[in-house]
Amino acid sequence: MRTLLSLNQKRLLNMAGVGFQRWARFLSKGKYSNISALLSGCRAASSGMKNGPYPKTLEERAAAAKKYNIRVEDYEPYPDDGDGYGDYPKLVDRSQHERDPWYQWDHPDLRRNWGEPMHWDFDMYIRNRVDTSPSPVPWSTMCKQLLGFIGFMLLMFYIGHEMPVYQPIGPKQFPYNNLYLERGGDPNKTPEDVKNYEI
Amino acid sequence: MADYREAPLATRPKTLDPNEYFNLSAEKRRTEEERAALRASLKRQYQLQLNNPHRKELIEDPAMNRWVYARANPYPHFRPTFKTSLMGLLSGVVPLFVLYYAFKTDRDNREEKIKNGTLERKFCLSS
Repeated sequence: MRTLLSLNQKRLLNMAGVGFQRWARFLSKGKYSNISALLSGCRAASSGMKNGPYPKTLEERAAAAKKYNIRVEDYEPYPDDGDGYGDYPKLVDRSQHERDPWYQWDHPDLRRNWGEPMHWDFDMYIRNRVDTSPSPVPWSTMCKQLLGFIGFMLLMFYIGHEMPVYQPIGPKQFPYNNLYLERGGDPNKTPEDVKNYEI
Repeated sequence: MADYREAPLATRPKTLDPNEYFNLSAEKRRTEEERAALRASLKRQYQLQLNNPHRKELIEDPAMNRWVYARANPYPHFRPTFKTSLMGLLSGVVPLFVLYYAFKTDRDNREEKIKNGTLERKFCLSS
């Protein structure tokens, strides 16, 4: 007996059924304690949005690769060090600067297509931030040159501060008998002559 | 085009990589075709939604939702190992004690100098 539902509607109903099953299974596991976490968790579980635990078996890997729209052979999760990644895929560490500027991306400013798996550090690799484009000289060389120069200048300034070098000087000589009157000398007395020179 | 050299600060585009066109094994071609098929199906889904005249709402991107969810919820997958405990200690516990001791000794020395009257009150801003 043929129903009146179209193919798309049948697909949606199927998805809803699968989603409901997942939601029920998730509720029965009973991980969350408060209502908001419960709701967001079940919404995420129903639409396949959660990053699940690290995949151990081949079936889990295949399911995770399918979830993230990656080929099974290309899918590589982060190593299981308890860092909180789960089964999120490890993509190449290249920034969006390196992507083709002339291709018709769905989101041209982000140089990304709709549905493409996002790098974990995507917000770092946008075009306003970190750029991993190749540098004219190797990165290590650039670092060494810059830090070497800055370190050298700091060292020299510090040495110069600790050990200053001046021209040799003597005490300053003043006229008018070493400023006898300005220094509060008695104007009625004649001061002794001060000779600041030698011939 | 054989002597193409990419711009000094740019990566070579994939379409100009000679490995794309020469010495292709059947396996490489199949992998590229599979990847292209995935991309094409995503493109098709997006274009169908984008050009749908009856669409009234925003197009939701499941990849972005997964990314946001994964970034916001690392705790279910957190496990205390040696490395993670060390990172936690180094970034949370050690700075507390180090900063406490650094500031305390500095302020105590300063207070002692003020009490003895030996504090040099300079006009220089840098020290």
